[in-house]
Amino acid sequence: MNAGEIHGLLGENGAGKSTLMKVLLGLVQRDEGTVLLDGHPVEIATPQDAVAHGLGMVHQHFSLIDGLTVWENVVLGDRGKVDKTRACREVREVAERYGLPIDPTAAVESLSAGERQRVEVIKALRRDPRILILDEPTSVLTQAESVELFSVLRRVVQDEGRAVILISHKLAEIIAATDTISVLRRGEVVFESRTAQTTPQELARRMVGREVSLRSEAAALGMLPVQHTGKEPTATTADVEPVLRLRDLVVEVGGLRVLDGLSLDVAPGEIVGLYGVEGNGQATLGELLSGLVEPTEGSIEISGRQVDTSKAGALHDAGLGVIPEDRHRSGIVLDMSVAENLALKDLDEVSGRWLMSRRLMLRRAQLLADEYNIVTPSPNAPVRSLSGGNQQRLVLARELSREPRALIAAQPTHGLDVGAIEDMYTRLRKVAASGVGVLLVSTELEEVMALAARIAVISSGRIVGVLPIAEATADRLGMLVGGEAA
Amino acid sequence: MNDLLRRYQVTPAGWLTLLFTLISIVIACALSAVLIATTGFSPVDAAKAMYDGSVSGASGWTTTLLYVAPLLLVAVGSCVCVRAGIFNIGQEGQVLIGALGGAYAGLRLAIHGPFLLICVLVFGAVGGGIWAGLSSLMLRFRGVNVVVSTLLMTFLAQQIVAYAVNTSWFLQETPEGSSGIAGSESNPIPVNGRLRTFGQYPDLSVNFGLFLALAAALVIAFLLARTRWGFRLKLIGLNPVTARHAGVRVAALGGMSLAISGAFAGLAGAVLVASPIGSNRLQPGTSINVGWDGLLVALIARNRPGLCVPAAVLFAILRAGGDYLAATGVPSYLADVVKALLVLALVAPSVLVAAIRSRRHAVPTAPTPLTTAVGAPQGVAA
Repeated sequence: MNAGEIHGLLGENGAGKSTLMKVLLGLVQRDEGTVLLDGHPVEIATPQDAVAHGLGMVHQHFSLIDGLTVWENVVLGDRGKVDKTRACREVREVAERYGLPIDPTAAVESLSAGERQRVEVIKALRRDPRILILDEPTSVLTQAESVELFSVLRRVVQDEGRAVILISHKLAEIIAATDTISVLRRGEVVFESRTAQTTPQELARRMVGREVSLRSEAAALGMLPVQHTGKEPTATTADVEPVLRLRDLVVEVGGLRVLDGLSLDVAPGEIVGLYGVEGNGQATLGELLSGLVEPTEGSIEISGRQVDTSKAGALHDAGLGVIPEDRHRSGIVLDMSVAENLALKDLDEVSGRWLMSRRLMLRRAQLLADEYNIVTPSPNAPVRSLSGGNQQRLVLARELSREPRALIAAQPTHGLDVGAIEDMYTRLRKVAASGVGVLLVSTELEEVMALAARIAVISSGRIVGVLPIAEATADRLGMLVGGEAA
Repeated sequence: MNDLLRRYQVTPAGWLTLLFTLISIVIACALSAVLIATTGFSPVDAAKAMYDGSVSGASGWTTTLLYVAPLLLVAVGSCVCVRAGIFNIGQEGQVLIGALGGAYAGLRLAIHGPFLLICVLVFGAVGGGIWAGLSSLMLRFRGVNVVVSTLLMTFLAQQIVAYAVNTSWFLQETPEGSSGIAGSESNPIPVNGRLRTFGQYPDLSVNFGLFLALAAALVIAFLLARTRWGFRLKLIGLNPVTARHAGVRVAALGGMSLAISGAFAGLAGAVLVASPIGSNRLQPGTSINVGWDGLLVALIARNRPGLCVPAAVLFAILRAGGDYLAATGVPSYLADVVKALLVLALVAPSVLVAAIRSRRHAVPTAPTPLTTAVGAPQGVAA
């Protein structure tokens, strides 16, 4: 790659993008091959070496410390004496130079996702890197914030001759923002081109390794516009009793109203998309529906019956399945086996009054693994050894095995590769077709547009608008997300 | 059967651990030898004394096996709460309270026949259970860190026992002889409140406490591995959030596991009073560090009740040998240092191997509560 260019790195999850970057940053050692910098082979053994060679990285997940202020986060990792005035001045200088306005003395916890991203970028730029690497930088940003970020990157590249590597799985973004593109598949560069000389279809094909139809997969790849499947919602949802009814839910965390009077109905057989930018209460809603937090006010009804949320497992018993946003936190136990994970919510199925039955547990695991296509060396293998897609299928299998009435799918395709996303979409559609009400919580516009029959937009803990799919366009949803009436 | 074999198959990491363990034991022995030599004793004689006092002949084994019972009981209890992700490090205090409860039952309940023994043991277990249960309550209602509260409760327990054996209406011995001065200990508990011993000196003699402890290890191993209760315990230990989501009452189950571990420590205390390790009296030093050492036994056994048995035997050997060594004139603190070195030699390799492996695969993994908490008991013990 060249100085003065934005280089896009495309690839499915597991294609080797992250590993490549870890090699560059000195986090992982390569087994073979060389890294050439300005034509010279370099040895990057530690992250410090990477910094010395002028490599800076903005990680997908913010590596900021909430309790500290902006400038403290920026100087984190520096050697020597900490000088507040100098650090603040530097932050302001960098911020001004690149048009990234930020108050160096603000506490990070008070910042929005977009502002945090800015802090990360400033942190990397202050070290004056020759090469700046951004890993999925837009996953938490609104459309407008993304555009802003890319214009900053453009400036960095054109005015100062730095190089930028942009890692993404969103085709639209890569095409809009880069000069050259490399596509990785299974650890190899399978395609390289000037951005101007290629097409989204071409890139998608290179990325997946086969022809891609322009529907759900296109959504998975982040291509707009999405064509609808043409299936209009047949029944009007008003005259069916909702299978899941959230009524005026309020959750306060530390005096902050994270959910602020949220109400939403999901009818049987319907997929409702809950769309919004990350951090507007979706996570809390997910925890609420997983039985991890109790609402301060409001109620949850399943099939017309109110659920006592103070009782452990009551929501599950009432017929609510949950695919949690962070499966490692509340979906699976990494150090337990596949069979154990499949059984953990339904112990009655695999045990007597007191004793667990290994035989029943294994048999059940075998059945579910076959039905849901969970690829595992054995039912006794720890879930840690499974790929993300298989872990997610495991969660889905467990949640559906009890025949729930309603299913919450929070970011169900987060971190999955295209094949797994496609599979997840098919399964969610099938679940809905069998009469289960599905609430799809997602920050990916393409995803809700591809799956949902109705789209509810969440902002600051409340529903700011509900649009049937026929009326939903990217613009209208975007305006709702931004807090404007559509 | 295949399944069983696979579970106990030695992985490359296992071999590495074994190798490191051997190396570190050699190092520990060498260091001990140097230490003993510099204080003016002969390392060879010391080693021989350790051997004679613990595993050579019937009398050595008698002493060793006597120590196994309380150590094993404490360790098995520790396995229960660690399985639930809760780190009780106050066993020493729970042992003391158990001993107090046992002594109280033995001396104050006017019961004839073997039923008194049962009362002694039950009072001990209940006492230890309540003592640890207090820490559970502190966690539940005030969010007090279990490591801190169990540790501090130990010092409180020491004061209570000291008070008990110095207060005439409580448990202090009846003044005897012409002087009429009562010491800081209780009367010996009656014979029908003591654990029976099988076999007579000079043959091997085995106290009933050993069978009690072995049975406890078996039962707990079974409960943890095979029952719903054990499954849930493991679940809350590995991922409390998922456990809660799955409908497990995490706080109640965790608190209960802490109380159970306290009950086992308390039972160990009762066994100490009821078996011929001491003088069958309650004394301020009745617990003889069995609580701390039992914790280390569980640590070395990686909290597996089955593995606790050999680990407890090993510690008992070190203890019996150490006692004998001290009797030959080597200061007892040197014996303690030797013991500590050997513990480090047994614990360090697995940590080392884990560190090496995590360095080699620099893949970020979700933090498990175990990694932070395992360090805690180690630090305190050191």
